[in-house]
Amino acid sequence: MQSPFNRSVALAAAVILAAATAAYAHHGWSWTQDGFFELKGRITAIYIGNPHATLDVDAEGAVWRVEMAPPSRTIAAGFTEGVAKVGDEVTAIGHRSRDESEKRMKAVRIIVGGKTYDVYPDRVPPA
Amino acid sequence: MDGFFAGIEQLALVRGLKASFVAYPIVNALHIMSIGALLTSVWLMDLRILGAFRSLPQPAFVALLRRTALGAFGGALVTGSLLFSVRASEYAAMPIFLAKMTLILLAGANFLVFMRRAKGGDEPAGGVAIVLAALSLVLWTSVLFAGRFIGFLG
Repeated sequence: MQSPFNRSVALAAAVILAAATAAYAHHGWSWTQDGFFELKGRITAIYIGNPHATLDVDAEGAVWRVEMAPPSRTIAAGFTEGVAKVGDEVTAIGHRSRDESEKRMKAVRIIVGGKTYDVYPDRVPPA
Repeated sequence: MDGFFAGIEQLALVRGLKASFVAYPIVNALHIMSIGALLTSVWLMDLRILGAFRSLPQPAFVALLRRTALGAFGGALVTGSLLFSVRASEYAAMPIFLAKMTLILLAGANFLVFMRRAKGGDEPAGGVAIVLAALSLVLWTSVLFAGRFIGFLG
């Protein structure tokens, strides 16, 4: 009885370890670089909703995923459905993924249509 | 298939959930609650089959926990489908999401094999039961980890 039990515990531990050492986290900020990053391009898709809002941005032929805040925060920042549309020029300021092969960033500020939306006002670059 | 997932995203209920500041976190919390109950009942049930808690009568203990696990799985299925629905096409294209669904199917198949063997009235015992119970622990725990990583892997 003892050995199959030990085996199952060992297997479960292996799964936990494998999962814990797996790639990059997109929740929070641990997966992003510390320095600020700016992306300019054209919006190809907009999602404002749970669990968090995203923009897809075509920058010189490469499509980036720009992650924003949960919808409550994104909308509180003034970035609602209708302030931007597919095809608009956009500037996203925030932090890109530590994995530079990944075209993904988390924005603290979005500039579109001449307006600035601070989706993470406490994290924007100092003026 | 793309049209099917896009159609799910357009349902009135789903659009409401997508935009809601309250309903989505509640559904999310209920999903966590269901998963917690499911994993707890699976672990206790399988550990009993593997020989732990011998002072508790196995048939009654396992029957209670199996009912709990099935109810919890139902709750996880409903709440999980709702969480999936707001970005159905996005999740359906994610390898980690597909891995989680595969693990659930394997865990379900493992359960059906166990129940088939239990058909005669007696719960499976000995080597077969131990292998199936150990598999069940590993699979359901992997489902939990795969699920959590959906939020962290693009």
